[in-house]
Amino acid sequence: MKEYVIDAKDMDAKELNRTIKKQAPLYDRLVIENPESGHNICAGLSEDIDIQINGSAGYFVGTMVNGAKIHIDGNAGWFAGDNMTEGELIIEGTAGDGAGQGIYGGTVIVKGSTGSRTGEIMKGGTVIIGGNSGYMTGLLMMGGRLIILGDVTDDVGESIMRGTIYVLGDVKSLGKNAVMEKTTLKDQNELKEILTEYDFDLTDVEYANFKKIVNAQ
Amino acid sequence: MCGIAGVIYKDKKTHPVGSALTSMLESLQHRGPDSAGYAIYGGLNFSENYYQLNIEVNRRKGTLDNLKSLLTQFSQIYEEQLIESVGDSDVYKCKIALDEYSLLKPCIREIDELENVRVINGSHSFEMIKDVGKVKDIAERFDVPSRRGTHGIGHTRFATESGVDRYHAHPYQSYIIPDITVVHNGQITNYWKIRDPLERKGHIFESFNDTECIVHYMADKLDQGYKLEEALEEAVIDLDGPFSILVGTPNGIGIAKDKLGLRPGVMAETDEIFAIASEEMALHDVIDSDQIEQIAPGETRAYTI
Repeated sequence: MKEYVIDAKDMDAKELNRTIKKQAPLYDRLVIENPESGHNICAGLSEDIDIQINGSAGYFVGTMVNGAKIHIDGNAGWFAGDNMTEGELIIEGTAGDGAGQGIYGGTVIVKGSTGSRTGEIMKGGTVIIGGNSGYMTGLLMMGGRLIILGDVTDDVGESIMRGTIYVLGDVKSLGKNAVMEKTTLKDQNELKEILTEYDFDLTDVEYANFKKIVNAQ
Repeated sequence: MCGIAGVIYKDKKTHPVGSALTSMLESLQHRGPDSAGYAIYGGLNFSENYYQLNIEVNRRKGTLDNLKSLLTQFSQIYEEQLIESVGDSDVYKCKIALDEYSLLKPCIREIDELENVRVINGSHSFEMIKDVGKVKDIAERFDVPSRRGTHGIGHTRFATESGVDRYHAHPYQSYIIPDITVVHNGQITNYWKIRDPLERKGHIFESFNDTECIVHYMADKLDQGYKLEEALEEAVIDLDGPFSILVGTPNGIGIAKDKLGLRPGVMAETDEIFAIASEEMALHDVIDSDQIEQIAPGETRAYTI
């Protein structure tokens, strides 16, 4: 595997992203050191490449990515993976508001907890949150799967149109136009398939305990 | 957008707060290029009834002499410094003594009557530094990194209302009780609903800036006996609009975030430090922790020493 290391310490977002785009066609894997929570890392990247970010990223990491697999060994700021069309964004730590906002496809995984409006206006793809998720999780969802393994606070699925929210923990309150249903065996099997793929270790009882939140109509 | 930052050292000793806040604000520079400012608490070490005045003085001949002449009617001038700034004015800092705190605001109002002069602030337990331009330039101009203190708040401004000038830079201060400051990211949409009752109580507004309204609101609550965290909780209930407000008091800092969580706020804490900022990147400059907490919609956090 051909690997290239980029030291982002003294780079602004433009310089870093230009370097990533220049090197991506030449290597299998890019490693970004010293990201220092900088914004817009990997924005608009369309190459199929593995990217390892050693440290935290700021706002809009992986926005509009089409195909890349990005792994962040740290936290992420607001709108991680925004408008992703294909690929994978894995965040080992926590993420700010709007994680997985507006994704069309691909998978966004936050191992820790997220802020508010997780998965808002997502249209497809899968967002998985290993911890808790904040206010208005799944706001205005139009498609895709949003899976929360921890608790969610108020107004989950506010004005949801399509798509499905699964919550393993407690749901403090549902938003307008959202309703809670029991999961089917098919739902549970699909959850098991995706969560096992990403090394989430749940029991069969836990899979049976997922709550399913969808459009009320 | 605007960027806010605050840091407090739990051991109550003085630390390089000016340097810490400068690093944080430089990380947040992209959130606002217009002006920046600091309120650094615990570094002045003034005896009772001594105050620092920061005054914007036009370079026109005779202005500074007129100012000093008026100041001596209130107090002996104990220390003074003229700091060269941008535009047609400089910043004159001096130390004065007054018989009691209630004389500070009338003194400021009288100075403001002078032509080509405007008081930026007067304080006892903290130093206010604010000016137009980038954080780096302001920090150099006022030698901010050398300032030590127990805690402080800072701001980098993207002006969305009121002028881009030294006075409208944050922090804002209220004189309802001593040494209350606020920096703010956002807009208050029920401004007059908050301002009217405060004015009816006799509190004086100097501008139409919503951050000034918030600092008077907070000072009024603290004056009523609310603790900092309680006053912040009241602010979340009473203030409408998107906001993250960061309050400085002589012994603490605290943040309140609007009910919908439309403005950012993160915090981190170790055994030594409690720090708050608009974005995580600013926290890494002062705190060695990856345990970053998102401030939730409607949430408040405060730390007092």
